[in-house]
Amino acid sequence: MDYIALLKDYLDDANSHLAVFDDSLMALESNGFNNDLVMRVLGALHTLKGNSGMMGFESLKVYIHNIEELLKQVNDNEIELVEIIAGLLDSANVIRNALQQIEKNPDASPDLGEDILTVQQLLNGSGNESEKKSVELSSYLGTKTDTIKVDFKRLDDLLNLVGELVIYKTRLNQIETEIRGVVNNKPLTKELKDGLEFMGKIIAGLQEGIMRARMLPVNHVFSKFPRMVRDLAKSQGKEIQLLFEGEDTELDKTVIDELEEPLLHIIRNAIDHGIEVSRDRVNKGKAQKGTIVLSAAQESNYVIIKVRDDGKGIDFDSVREAAVKKGLIKPEDAPDKDNIISLIFSAGFTTKNEATDISGRGIGLDVVSRNISKLNGHVTVDSIPEKETSFTIKLPLSLAIIPALMAEAGDEVYAIPMSAVDESIKVREEDIHVINNHEVIRFRERVLPVIRLNDFFGLNRKRKKRFYLVILGRADRRIAIAVDRLRGQQEIVIKPLDETFGKSYGIAGASILGDGRIVLIVDVMSFWNGRNKISFEEQKPNNV
Amino acid sequence: MSRIHLPASGLAEDMLLNDKEQSEGFHLVTFNLGEEYAVPISQVYEIVRVGNITMVPNSPSYMEGVINLRGKVLPVLNLRKRLNLSGKDITKSSRIVVTEVGSKVIGLLVDAVSHVIKVSSEFVETAPEEVLEIDTDYITGVGKLKDRLIILLDLEKLLKREKFDIKDGGNNGEKN
Repeated sequence: MDYIALLKDYLDDANSHLAVFDDSLMALESNGFNNDLVMRVLGALHTLKGNSGMMGFESLKVYIHNIEELLKQVNDNEIELVEIIAGLLDSANVIRNALQQIEKNPDASPDLGEDILTVQQLLNGSGNESEKKSVELSSYLGTKTDTIKVDFKRLDDLLNLVGELVIYKTRLNQIETEIRGVVNNKPLTKELKDGLEFMGKIIAGLQEGIMRARMLPVNHVFSKFPRMVRDLAKSQGKEIQLLFEGEDTELDKTVIDELEEPLLHIIRNAIDHGIEVSRDRVNKGKAQKGTIVLSAAQESNYVIIKVRDDGKGIDFDSVREAAVKKGLIKPEDAPDKDNIISLIFSAGFTTKNEATDISGRGIGLDVVSRNISKLNGHVTVDSIPEKETSFTIKLPLSLAIIPALMAEAGDEVYAIPMSAVDESIKVREEDIHVINNHEVIRFRERVLPVIRLNDFFGLNRKRKKRFYLVILGRADRRIAIAVDRLRGQQEIVIKPLDETFGKSYGIAGASILGDGRIVLIVDVMSFWNGRNKISFEEQKPNNV
Repeated sequence: MSRIHLPASGLAEDMLLNDKEQSEGFHLVTFNLGEEYAVPISQVYEIVRVGNITMVPNSPSYMEGVINLRGKVLPVLNLRKRLNLSGKDITKSSRIVVTEVGSKVIGLLVDAVSHVIKVSSEFVETAPEEVLEIDTDYITGVGKLKDRLIILLDLEKLLKREKFDIKDGGNNGEKN
């Protein structure tokens, strides 16, 4: 967080503490001594003191410290409250003035030398009714705050309402198209169209506004890790520095909340399996200190979060070996780097022989993949042996409303999250070739595997001469999903599927369209996993 | 999708005229699956006609799909398939009995909803195992009403058991 933002937080916070101080003093003045009130004042002052010290406003810190002392003496019955209440009320104004000065000129720490002396005089019992400083009326106004605290539930409710609004907007647009076909009144239909368009813009603005209100900087979750990295590195005798990049990138709070666990596992992995001990690093000619970089960046409607370490990378051979041992692949399978590396996301996968305290128990990376998938995101891993390993997480900005491509297959309509879609093309049956019992298509100098959604979901297959391929991308791999028809792109509101359906492989959730129809949201992760499965089975010897 | 609400009043009272003499007891919603089955009315949220059911791929075969119940995505279970009874197509008289057990709301697809009846607590007897087509685990008991035999379903067990089943066998083909 930069200094300006920090200062803003400080001032907002300080003003709320000052308000508590003021209120409590007023109550003390009118009702006399009350232990609870004094404790409340002390609490507010203490926080304010700490924050002021942290921000470098030394004089203000000392001043508040003296007021604290004064109040403690009151609490211990060393001073009568009535003797100093006027002085205390003055002190609230002093703090208020100081805060205003800070707001106007944040670089200069206000000098409260004289005021400190006044309070110390009170402390020493020599509280001569010192000449009352005239206080400017305007100082009672305090500084204005730009922030309010809102219960997250309220924002959630608002977003749900906006979600419904988006659904009905879509429905109205459909009706408008139908009306244009039957009503022969150009000016009127045009007006309807314009009106709807205008409303659509406002709804989009409203939606964006509420989504913005729900966003937090990823620093909220990043900042939880330095301590963990330090402790874990120490316990393993490693030297590791954790660096942040783009930590002020904003994400929906619900996504932030869900992000902690996957990141925890990835970072643990980097410490445990990635970064070498200092001696090994020096021997390899690397910097003695290992580095883990946690970075975040926004790319259109997505946020990319990367965890990169400069450790020893992923040892493909031992991953392969472990995968063979677990029966995930056959020893004679071709060593395809992409396939192998994605195996580390399989449940219970570990290459370590003995589990360490931290990771290697074979849980972790499958949790990562599952959690990220739940957020409609993707996680990929890449590694250069002896140089680095990087995990890349791609997440939609919001959990609740995502853009999706609507595709028809069989008699159903499915929503494919746009986050995974590279492009879509229209093809003819003869463009599809069969290699090794698998359908593929030649596309942009590459051969892509084709998965027919009808088959994947066990639907009736309408053999059409012309149909569409939706090209999905994940890292540098591409896969083509064959669907009967495309219905265009649409914003959909995600509703979870009931657990009664089990894991309903291939389905990530459901959404309700404007016409009341339910569409299922495709879990694009399943295609990649499915592809792995197919390619491994395909290479089984004498597979019937 | 039109709805028929089955509150304790209305239809229920009509039915009760036949059973005036029984003052104490509880209400049951009965429905047809070849035999006549019943669940306590306290577990029935509402009864809806069968509209568009969206099939969910790769789910257990007895899960019929999902319907849109006023903006909520409601799972629908095919009770015939769940109880391993022979299948029957959806007809005009088919209904979805929306039940609420614990915090779980789930729709049960049945052939037809028959009645709301009021019965006394003595009405229910333990089910004689040999006469029943279905697993007695899911049954609270049977009751005789005049010449009819009514099988009382234990929804809690039925739904709990089913969750268990899914965990055991539902992850076919899942890799991660």
